[in-house]
Amino acid sequence: MISVSRLTRTIDTGTHRVEILKGVDLEIPAGEFAAIMGPSGSGKSTLLGLLAGLDTATSGSILLDGQQIVGLSEDKLAVVRSRKIGFVFQAYNLIPTLTAEENVLLPAELQGLGGEYEQRGLDLLTRVGLSDRRDHYPVQLSGGEQQRVALARAFLMRPPILFADEPTGNLDSANGKQVLDLLLDLNRVEGTTLVLVTHDRELAGYASRRITLRDGLIVSDESTANSYAAQSADNAGRPHSL
Amino acid sequence: MRTALRIAWREARASRAKFVFVILAVAAGVACLTGVKGFTRVFQTMLSREARTLMAGDLMIRTFSLPTREQQELFDRLEREGLQRTWITETITMLSKSGDAPPVLISVKAIDPKVYPFYGSVRLEPAQTLADALKPDTIAVSNDLLLRMEARIGDSVRLGGQPFRIIGTVQSEPDRMTGSLNVGPRVMMSREAIDRAGLMIAGSRASERFLFKAPPTIPIQRIRRRLQRVFDEALITDYTQTHPIVQNGLQRSSVFLSLVSLVALIVGSLGVGMAMQAHLQQKLDSIAIMKCIGGRSSQIIRIYGLQTLGLGLAGGVLGVVLGGGVQMMFPALIRRYFQVQASWAVDWVSALQGILIGLLTTMLFTLPPLLSIRQVRPALIFRREMGESRRNMRQWFENMKASIAAGTLIVLGIGAIAAWLAQSVRMGVYFATALLVSLAALSGVAWALLRGLHWLRERGPRAIRRLPGGAEIRHGLANLYRPGNHAGAVLVAMGVGVMFTLTVYLVQRGMVGEMVKSAPPGLPNVYLIDITPAQHDAVMKLLKDEPGVAEAPDMIGTVAAKIVTIDGSPLPRETLKGFARRYLRTAAVTSVGEKPSYTQVTEGRWWTGRPAEAELAVADDAARALDIHVGSRIDWSTPSRKFTSKVVAIQKTESVRLNARVEFVFSPGVLDGLPTIYYASVRVRPDLVGQLQTSIYRKFPTITVVNVADVLRIIQDVVNQIAVVVRLISAFALLAGAIILASSVAGQRFRRIREVVVLKTLGATRRSVVGVFSVEFLILGLVAGLMGAIMASIFAALVLKRMMDATPEINWLAGLACIGITAAIAVTSGWAASFQVLGRKPLEILREE
Repeated sequence: MISVSRLTRTIDTGTHRVEILKGVDLEIPAGEFAAIMGPSGSGKSTLLGLLAGLDTATSGSILLDGQQIVGLSEDKLAVVRSRKIGFVFQAYNLIPTLTAEENVLLPAELQGLGGEYEQRGLDLLTRVGLSDRRDHYPVQLSGGEQQRVALARAFLMRPPILFADEPTGNLDSANGKQVLDLLLDLNRVEGTTLVLVTHDRELAGYASRRITLRDGLIVSDESTANSYAAQSADNAGRPHSL
Repeated sequence: MRTALRIAWREARASRAKFVFVILAVAAGVACLTGVKGFTRVFQTMLSREARTLMAGDLMIRTFSLPTREQQELFDRLEREGLQRTWITETITMLSKSGDAPPVLISVKAIDPKVYPFYGSVRLEPAQTLADALKPDTIAVSNDLLLRMEARIGDSVRLGGQPFRIIGTVQSEPDRMTGSLNVGPRVMMSREAIDRAGLMIAGSRASERFLFKAPPTIPIQRIRRRLQRVFDEALITDYTQTHPIVQNGLQRSSVFLSLVSLVALIVGSLGVGMAMQAHLQQKLDSIAIMKCIGGRSSQIIRIYGLQTLGLGLAGGVLGVVLGGGVQMMFPALIRRYFQVQASWAVDWVSALQGILIGLLTTMLFTLPPLLSIRQVRPALIFRREMGESRRNMRQWFENMKASIAAGTLIVLGIGAIAAWLAQSVRMGVYFATALLVSLAALSGVAWALLRGLHWLRERGPRAIRRLPGGAEIRHGLANLYRPGNHAGAVLVAMGVGVMFTLTVYLVQRGMVGEMVKSAPPGLPNVYLIDITPAQHDAVMKLLKDEPGVAEAPDMIGTVAAKIVTIDGSPLPRETLKGFARRYLRTAAVTSVGEKPSYTQVTEGRWWTGRPAEAELAVADDAARALDIHVGSRIDWSTPSRKFTSKVVAIQKTESVRLNARVEFVFSPGVLDGLPTIYYASVRVRPDLVGQLQTSIYRKFPTITVVNVADVLRIIQDVVNQIAVVVRLISAFALLAGAIILASSVAGQRFRRIREVVVLKTLGATRRSVVGVFSVEFLILGLVAGLMGAIMASIFAALVLKRMMDATPEINWLAGLACIGITAAIAVTSGWAASFQVLGRKPLEILREE
């Protein structure tokens, strides 16, 4: 579970001071699918980055599964990221000099793990429909294909929490739906906590909870009965779960 | 480690084109270093061969007695170790022609014709080898002996009561100036001949010279030390000391060539550092992504560290191959000037040293960018262009600790490598200090410049804020100080590169200028000895009228006087060793009025007018040997009278001047009335020396003419060769420096690409885009050139004064040219790497990048 208390983030460049988050309090139980929404500049991507330990809070507290991550050293945060967090970016952020398969296996390699993860990596690529493209470099893949590789990478270590920052923002509707379906399956089948940033109301409609930010503060936080989790599971053409 | 290696290899595999650039930067630096070292070895071998010719050997002992048993045992031991030795005896005796003709006083030089000389050759007329010419009953003579005795080649003469046949004349003798400059015509004979003549009996006075030729495996200085322990009263010299001009020239060229090697090292390393920094800048996103998915800083540093190591190794090997190839081709290119042997043998030690140094300097200069990986925040992914929070001094220091440690390591590492290469701790310290000072000064200037520009643009007078030249100039200036710009790093790297490269040029000019001053082409090549006062005016007239005499002859009068006491004490016979014992005998002294221009007073002052008390200027060598100071009182005795003098100056005279042979110079009037003998030196066209000798002998048969034309030709050749070598090698270093500077700017290419794309998308024409970046490159080049020129002038002056004993001068033209050339390199290379982008569509470029 994710617990946030009086979280702030301020940037001071000497000539300008920008308060991105002004005191956020939040709790997301394990297994929940939460969508964070808000206009541009509201601080939603910053909040996501802080929750994932990718950025440094100015003040406040963040607990991930009971572990305080504010104030942790960079190396310790790296360990938390490798064990507890998966992250999907809007811009995919694959390593351009590695093939699709190498990108997927990178998290395990960085932890010095091989063996069993190699097979899992191959399975993940198959499940996202890219097993025949495993030796291709990101530049040789379309946007949708790159995002699917990024998904496979995020799932490799079976993280209990997945953060996604506008995962469909750069994709057409068909690819976007495919990626979303994969994400939602994870949340539903493996009970992974899914925190997703989006400005797309339709996408947010799939979440069981909608948190809206404006000017660095939460202005609304609503649970919704119209969540994907509450719907029946007989969608034809839905890909296999991950 | 295997994981890091695997990831490093994969990354490298996909970036082959970019890595080729980095490898070439390393290779250029290592090639310059190994090339210069290789040239240095080739040229020093060649130069020292010429210098050895002047001694006809590597090492020489001169003594006035035959070797003792202990000394002979040392000779035998050295011979067993591979040292070759030959014995030369020089003495004076009488030679007579058959019949009633009066005998003539001659100088005899007895040699082993099968061995002597070890270097150079003796030219006889008619042409023949010494071994063929000099038998137990034959002699070779100087031209003036034939003139004096009215003899011809083939005639018989008597020497020591034995008949000898004149087999030929000696036209040139390489070690003429290192031998005894005895008066009288010269005779060369074999050792069997001098034994047959019975000249050397117990009590005979002769100068014994032993020449040595050492195998390459035994350092000459080691042999010298062993000899010095056993021959404590003899004069022992090596080939570098045959003549002060040669000695200075070799010593300075050695220092200079070491300097160039080190400069090549620094400039090459800078290229590497900049290339690796540019490479890691491009990898920022990948580094941030790896941190996002759980990579620790230490792992990522290991990945890129291994890459760096691989690149350094590849560049080092390539550099050694390139340097070796150029070294082999070089003799063919310079055949016009030098007879240099091309060597096909691989010098493995130098090759390994080059690779190791390439690797070490790559790692050292890549440390700061590698360590900066620790500062890469994963949040870079979200907030690429926004500046980070301002840090206070404590936070700044915390973050900079590692960089400061890396910088310290670089300076110490470069200093150590420099000391190793130059075989001199002092050179290493100078270099490390120069690097540290230049880095600090340039960093300070870069900071001030960028801050100043920013302030001017934001708060300066309106006229400056609204600069003429439109948006191109404003945008170009703004590029220098905007967040994320690396103008500071480029400025520092270029400035250091310019500083060291220009230092090579300034030191080379200063050094060559000093050598030309000390060995001007018009050096006297003929000496006239034993001119009486009655002959003085007539000889001067003859010399002025004689064809081929270049300028007015230099004539000094000397008196024979002996030192009785110094400051009331007699000379310490027991403690005066070796050649210092000559002060126990009569010395040639002289007196002059004004201080000659080629004499330098190192202590005290020269007299003016005609002082009432006898004043004396003493040569610095004599002052050292006899412990004489300014204020010392010296009592003298001559056959006619005794007198006392007060030392008012310690002086040093240019070694090529006749006056340099006279160590004690009195004020005017002190030597009046004493028997005087004159010596003259004159520059004569070499082909007319014989004619002058004949003229002098016909009118003044008692005057000895010493022809040193051949010897001086060798000295002049050595000096000229050193000058050419130094110029060639510095040109090579300058070229390499320019290439590496260019690569430093070109390496920033990747930052330009996106900017070009955005500008074009917003409607900028190619001309506008060129204008914007040209302003940026131009300012970087001008400032780097200016700072580099200032620091180069200071560093070059230090090297010239402290390490080469040469006089530094400010070279305004070189400084201005340096600024212009650096700016041109910055603009040209900045564009050379990016020009192809200008003509293409923005999206096309974005897709590729």
